[in-house]
Amino acid sequence: TQSSWTLSGLENIASMVVDAISAPPAGLTQDFNQEVLTGTTIMAVAFDGGVIIGADSRTSSGSYVANRVTDKLTQINDTIFCCRSGSAADTQAIADYVKYYLSMHAVELGEQPEVRTAASIFQQLCYNNRDNLMAGIICAGWDKVNGGSVYTIPLGGMCVKQPFSIGGSGSTYVYGFCDANYKEKMSREECERFVKHAIALAIARDGSSGGVIRMAIIDKSGVERKVTLGNEVPRFYEGN
Amino acid sequence: MSIMSYNGAAIVAMAGKDCVAIASDRRFGVQAQTVSMDFQKIFPMGERLMVGLAGLATDVQTVSERLRFKMNMYKLREERDIEPVTFMHMISNLLYEKRFGPYFCEPVIAGIDKHGKPFISSTDLIGCPMTPGNFVVAGTCSEQLYGMCEALYVPDLGPEDLFETISQSLLNAQDRDALAGWGAVVHVITKDQVITRTLKSRMD
Repeated sequence: TQSSWTLSGLENIASMVVDAISAPPAGLTQDFNQEVLTGTTIMAVAFDGGVIIGADSRTSSGSYVANRVTDKLTQINDTIFCCRSGSAADTQAIADYVKYYLSMHAVELGEQPEVRTAASIFQQLCYNNRDNLMAGIICAGWDKVNGGSVYTIPLGGMCVKQPFSIGGSGSTYVYGFCDANYKEKMSREECERFVKHAIALAIARDGSSGGVIRMAIIDKSGVERKVTLGNEVPRFYEGN
Repeated sequence: MSIMSYNGAAIVAMAGKDCVAIASDRRFGVQAQTVSMDFQKIFPMGERLMVGLAGLATDVQTVSERLRFKMNMYKLREERDIEPVTFMHMISNLLYEKRFGPYFCEPVIAGIDKHGKPFISSTDLIGCPMTPGNFVVAGTCSEQLYGMCEALYVPDLGPEDLFETISQSLLNAQDRDALAGWGAVVHVITKDQVITRTLKSRMD
């Protein structure tokens, strides 16, 4: 079932997305022309009745921490969010486009769109502009047809549905932890713990991740946002 | 990718009234990855003299070992402890010897001389010495450290106040650096003793 807007029309506009690399930020390092990155840790886990998404809050420009309280969990519509990693400018621009296209689509459809659709729009933008973008996105949310879903759209623009997904530079440190600790059909509390612990471990090892842990729990009633401040972040082995 | 920001470090030294303090972070990392959180970057060179080394970790260890050798030889020959200003010249010479293939490290020296006067100084990676009198900084977040020190420093602080000032300067500067942090250690040196404290900091 194709939606009413044509794919080719979308492609035309999408391919006009100009590389939105931001002007050099007022960072204090010698790397004045280093693009602002969300070298980061992002994560999304589907549970029975919704999804939980989480991210760290560090934006770095070279080694300078340009923003230590970034919000990398961006709302697309009432029950669909995306987690952004890669170039801050690119991902912000893409998320804005998807928000716009999805809201037009919702009007035409007459009901709330599926998460699948939002993920598909992300994919179109990321794939067709793959040479000019650096964006790793996890699109997650709740819709009434499929319940909670998680779609991951990494650098080249592929899109794949997963029960849970981790992304960003910090995710490499927690693949083992996540594989060992993920269980199907986790409860909401177990899921929250899983996400918080994984991001805490990644923050501890990845220089490009840090700050606070932001989480959003999305279910049919909407979104609940949570922040775990620096002193409350779980701590694990830290040497002697 | 600069070689001086391959490992990452934050070192600061401040002078107070009849005391000096030197502090560093504890991270050992390889670019973005943190490998350990108990890496020593400040080395004692006598009872009232310490040197902190920022820069490439391998050179931090090599230079500290070479300095330890030179210090031991000095002690055997001179039969006394080295003065901080002499030590500064020793480091400066050691680094300039490698002028055209330098050690990628920037030392920070803090000590009390034989008259009880505080001494702090730093050099660049090829040995140019600098003795400002208030504070010296080195590492990947040196600009952040300069900002914090300029804001917080007042002259003639006692050991306790100096500890607070240097700790806040270091902690808040390293929070704005992705490559420094993961703990902090502070040494406060007075005529009689050295007090070492490990700070609880953000581990990110």
